[in-house]
Amino acid sequence: MGDNKGEVEGANNFYDIQHRKYDVRKGLFAMNLQIVCAGIGGRGVLLASTIIIETAIKAGLKAMASDEYGMSQRGGSVVSLVKVGNFASPLVGRESANILLSFEESEFYRNLPFLKTGGVTLVNTSRQLLSANIERLLKKRRVQYFLLDADAIAMQKGMIQSSNMAMLGFFSAFDITPFSCDNIKETIRQKVKARLVEKNLEVFQAGYESAQSFQLSADSKNQ
Amino acid sequence: MREVMIGNFAIARGLVEAGLELAAAYPGTPSSEILPGIIEFKNREKLAIHAEWSTNERCALEVAFGGALAGRKAACMMKQVGLNVAFPPLLHGYAQPLKGGLVIVSCDDPGPQSSQTEQDTRLLAAHFGIPVFDPASPGEAGDIAYYAMKYSCEHKVPVIVRSTHRVSHARESIELFVPGSRKVKLDEGLKLKGKGRIGIVTSGMTCSITMDILDELNLGDKISLYKVSRVFPLGTEVIGFVNQQEKTLVLEETDVTLEALLDHGFKVLGRRSGHVPSAGELTYDIVRDIICRFANDHGISVPEFNADTSIEDALKEIQIAPRPPKLCAGCSHRASFYAMKSAFPDAVFPGDIGCYTLGISMGAVDTCLDMGGGVTFASGFYDTFAQDGTLKPILASVGDSTFFHACLTPLYDSVLKKRRFVLVIMDNSTTAMTGLQPTPQSGISADGTSTYSIKIENIIKGFGIEFLRIVDPYDIPLLLRTIKEAYEYLETESAGPAVIIARRECLLFSKIREEDTRDMARLVAECTGCKICIKTFDCPGSYFDEEKKKICIDEGLCIRCGMCYYACPTSDEGKSLKELKKVRNEKKRREGREDSKK
Repeated sequence: MGDNKGEVEGANNFYDIQHRKYDVRKGLFAMNLQIVCAGIGGRGVLLASTIIIETAIKAGLKAMASDEYGMSQRGGSVVSLVKVGNFASPLVGRESANILLSFEESEFYRNLPFLKTGGVTLVNTSRQLLSANIERLLKKRRVQYFLLDADAIAMQKGMIQSSNMAMLGFFSAFDITPFSCDNIKETIRQKVKARLVEKNLEVFQAGYESAQSFQLSADSKNQ
Repeated sequence: MREVMIGNFAIARGLVEAGLELAAAYPGTPSSEILPGIIEFKNREKLAIHAEWSTNERCALEVAFGGALAGRKAACMMKQVGLNVAFPPLLHGYAQPLKGGLVIVSCDDPGPQSSQTEQDTRLLAAHFGIPVFDPASPGEAGDIAYYAMKYSCEHKVPVIVRSTHRVSHARESIELFVPGSRKVKLDEGLKLKGKGRIGIVTSGMTCSITMDILDELNLGDKISLYKVSRVFPLGTEVIGFVNQQEKTLVLEETDVTLEALLDHGFKVLGRRSGHVPSAGELTYDIVRDIICRFANDHGISVPEFNADTSIEDALKEIQIAPRPPKLCAGCSHRASFYAMKSAFPDAVFPGDIGCYTLGISMGAVDTCLDMGGGVTFASGFYDTFAQDGTLKPILASVGDSTFFHACLTPLYDSVLKKRRFVLVIMDNSTTAMTGLQPTPQSGISADGTSTYSIKIENIIKGFGIEFLRIVDPYDIPLLLRTIKEAYEYLETESAGPAVIIARRECLLFSKIREEDTRDMARLVAECTGCKICIKTFDCPGSYFDEEKKKICIDEGLCIRCGMCYYACPTSDEGKSLKELKKVRNEKKRREGREDSKK
């Protein structure tokens, strides 16, 4: 088995997966997180995923995103796959995502196969309940889900296009390191156009506060 | 300093840092963001780089080539099918020793997600003897762009950097250097040393996915992995690696390139042996399945991934709104197609490549071959029908950017040969599908400065085309009448092609003006639930509410252009359009009666 060793070791950059498995800094990278952001064009899915990876990077983590937006300019499916931690690629496999952020209800169903057993999902919908079959499925897969009418929150603030901020606000209430309310707010201030920052933060705050009415279990907080 | 950016910007950064002096490109997904990236970094670093959007890929390559022959560091960018347009200079290019450097960036589209076909740039590069690099991440794409420019200058040959959409459109934190100071060592070689005697050779984003999967499956110490960055000419080390393995699996996108270059017969497994699907993107799930099977076949037991099908079972009852690619709500192309389809429902509709290819869902685009193919197809169809002695309505459509890119030659050819068809040039003053790049008519150059504007109507007049009308497509009745008028012209003895320019700024581009915002309440209030507008107009700005049995406006998407009123048979607009359609029908019926009398 070891007889092919000599020649190949001469090749450069002998490093990677084994190395990082025993990385002494592993403590820093303990959080390997896969997040799927799904929605439709023109609703700020990509801005949301940008804010997520920038927040992670500022906290010293490795983060990558892969965007998929097809041929439609507006109104088509948009999926942004985000991986935070020690990964080589930004792509996410079936039943692998820890978190599914659905910025639109039908995109929640379409991207549900990405979500792993025991994952968490947040859905932008005006519904109070999901259908019995879906609820049963989520229960069976130990998925925690939260239904948030982010469009209504954004509309209330006169910013229909900013439902993504309400979603991020709610997401920040999970308080998954490093995606705290304060950290995400700071990134929003840097990434959103100056004249829109205050309005966006208002929607964000409203999303964050609406999370307080949910009983966020310890599980979802420490995913 | 570090900054989060997409792979295409990383490539731009690498080229600028390598001393780029001249850049030319034609937009095409997934390559379109590289030239804007170059302009961004050029402005930031206050460098004198000539950067332009060319009229097509061949122009881009030849301009860059000229610069490189004359001693500049030049680059050109395009998508994989764009490289086909640039074949003539590419074919013989390697035989011209460069004084400067030339990097060709060609972005492949495995899947394909937004192209007519998959195509592997690396295969063409190897075929033509041009060195080609295949980066595995945005960060590496920047390094390789930098390295490729040095490589080209050193070896005096053109060099290709092949990216894919998963590299070009991935985002990560990239380190920025002072131009000229980047230290790049090609990241190629043995990445994992397994205890077994099986290995994987891989390149590009597939390599990154493979590393993640080997990690997930804990195979990192069982299977060896060799990463290739320079696919052609292939290094000798990788051949040594394959020699040492009992079996080697090749994972690459998009076609058989490494696999063919390695050529180790039965020792190498991949697409040719049936271990890797012959087409389509190598997604995370597909690569995981391939690796599981490969490991299990060679005595390394790995649990196969079993998808939980109860997810699909539960989703069966849910009506997931299908989202085929659609024209935007309020897109003027939709109005044009609606008028075309209303004027001649049975016409032949040769289409072209751009946003307006999506007219296919309205039944107003029948063909989509390549850039400019619509006009030439219309010619071929006309000649065929003419041989049979019939004059069938042929309504071809093309956008403004594609018109400049590839339609001039076929169009004047049709003028010379007096081919009778209607060409609707859908002029939205921009290259919308790839991200609003200017066209030769825009009067704007790539960096935003103003320049000469070539008017499409002047070209049409210059060709000697007799029938030319310029219409606002939002005036659907006028456009419908104009199309009929054009057809009447085609029936005259000396007719040649008839051209209608349907001109309205792309709504992604223009600020929506006050007069375009109409009251949509009437549409909902008077809705009878017939769904005809859903079937024929297909606008994402409205949807049918099955509970209320009525059309509903999607407030987030609708721009209140009011065009859908024309597609509503009960509205005044719809009724008036019906009258217009009837006029033609009566005329036709009359003719039919006369024909039968004869």
